[in-house]
Amino acid sequence: MNTDSSIIEIQNLSRRYGKLDAVDGLSLNVRAGKCYGFFGRNGAGKTTTIKCLLNLLRPDSGSVRVFGLDPRTDEVAVKSRIAYVPDVVAFYPWMTVRETLEYFASFRKNWNGDIEADLLKRFQLDPKQKASHLSKGQRTQLALLGAICPEPELLVLDEPTSGLDPIVRREFIETVIGAYQSGDPGRRTVFVSTHLISEFEGLIDEFTIIENGRNLLTMEADAARDRFRKIRARFSEMPKLDLSGALNVKQNGREMEILADGNSEQLLEKLKSHSPEELKCEALSLEEIFVASDILKKAKA
Amino acid sequence: MLLQIDFKSGKPVYLQLVDQIRYAAASGGLRTGEPLPSIRPLAEELRVNRNTVAKAYTELESQGVIETIPGKGCFLKESNSPFTKSARAKILTKEIDEAVVAAHHLQVDRNTFLALVKERLDSFERKVKEKSDND
Repeated sequence: MNTDSSIIEIQNLSRRYGKLDAVDGLSLNVRAGKCYGFFGRNGAGKTTTIKCLLNLLRPDSGSVRVFGLDPRTDEVAVKSRIAYVPDVVAFYPWMTVRETLEYFASFRKNWNGDIEADLLKRFQLDPKQKASHLSKGQRTQLALLGAICPEPELLVLDEPTSGLDPIVRREFIETVIGAYQSGDPGRRTVFVSTHLISEFEGLIDEFTIIENGRNLLTMEADAARDRFRKIRARFSEMPKLDLSGALNVKQNGREMEILADGNSEQLLEKLKSHSPEELKCEALSLEEIFVASDILKKAKA
Repeated sequence: MLLQIDFKSGKPVYLQLVDQIRYAAASGGLRTGEPLPSIRPLAEELRVNRNTVAKAYTELESQGVIETIPGKGCFLKESNSPFTKSARAKILTKEIDEAVVAAHHLQVDRNTFLALVKERLDSFERKVKEKSDND
C-alpha cells in the first residue's frame, strides 16, 4: 500500500471553447487510496477537467498525468485501470441488463462476478430487463455496477447522484464505500465531482473548489472543518467590537454571526469579554464552505 | 453501542469514533470481550470513508482499548491500558488540568467542581451497573 504516490496529477491545465476559458491554469494532486471531492458551480470547469483525464478532450496547455501516465499517449494503459460514471448514462436500448454487463466485461481484463451477483441482488435489478426499460435510478445503478466489477484503481464520478431519489443516492454511496473501497483500500481511489456535497461529506478526504476554471481552495476535509467556524453571539446590548480578524461579520439587532478563519479561539475570547447572553461556535460543513466560496477568496490571499 | 458523526463539531471524524467507543467502554455500552462492528458495515452505515473507520480502530488498538483477533474481528480488551500506573496518572492529569481551566473560566468553584466530578463518576458506575443488571 503506497498511499503517497499520486494517482492524478494535473498541472496548469487549460482548455478553451472558442473564447471561453473553461479550465484556466488548474493544478491538483490526488493521492492513492484517497477519496477526492471536486466541487464547483455549473460551468466552473469540472466536467471539462474530467474529460481531459479520460482523453475525451485534449488540453490546450498544461499537463495531465494519471497513474504517472499521459492519457493521450497511453490511453489504453490508463483507461484499463479507470472506471467512469458520468451524470447521464446511456446503454444500447436493445440489450438486457445481463447483455449490457457482458458487453462491459468484454472490454476488461478483470471482472468480479461475486460483486456483480451481490449488487444485482442489492439493487434488485432483473438481468432479463431491457436497458431501455430501466428507470433513471436503475440506469445509474447499472452504470455503477459496470464501473465497480472490473475493480479499477481509480473510480471517476461526475455528478453521479444528481436527479436520483434519496434511497438510490444513499445506496450509491454505500456501494462506493462497501463494494468498491473495501475491496483493496490502498488501491482504491475515488475522484468525485458533485453538488450534493453533504451526502458525500463523510467520504471526502480532501477536496478542491474550482471556480472559473481555477483552483479556489484545496484542503483536507478535517482541516477545513477545523479552520472555518461559524460563531453566533447575542448580547443584551451590542458592544463596540473590533472583529477585523474575522472573514465575515453579519449583524442583526443584538445578534451577530461571525465567520472565523483559523482564529475562532481569539474571536471567542474577544466576544466573551463582553459577556454575551449566548455564544455558540460550530464548524462549517463542506457544503457551507463551498457556499461561502465568495468570502473564502479573501481567506486564500 | 450506536455511533454518530457530527461534522459541525469540527473534530476529525476518526477521533469522534475513537472518543465514542472509549465512552461506550467506560459507560458499559460496550463490555470486555464484546465485538465491535466490522469496518465495512460500520463505514457503510455511517456513510464515512472506510479508511476513516480503519484509522479509528488502529488508534484504539494502539491505545490498548481494543484488540484485533485475526479472522474474528475487533474486541474490547480486558485491561485496556498498556501504560504503567504513573504514566496513566500523567495522561489523566493533563485531561484534568483542561477541566480545571474550563471550570475557572466558567466561574465554577472548587467545591462545586469536586461535587460534579463525584457525581459524574457515580453516574458512569450506575450506567455500567444498570447495563449488567439488564442481562
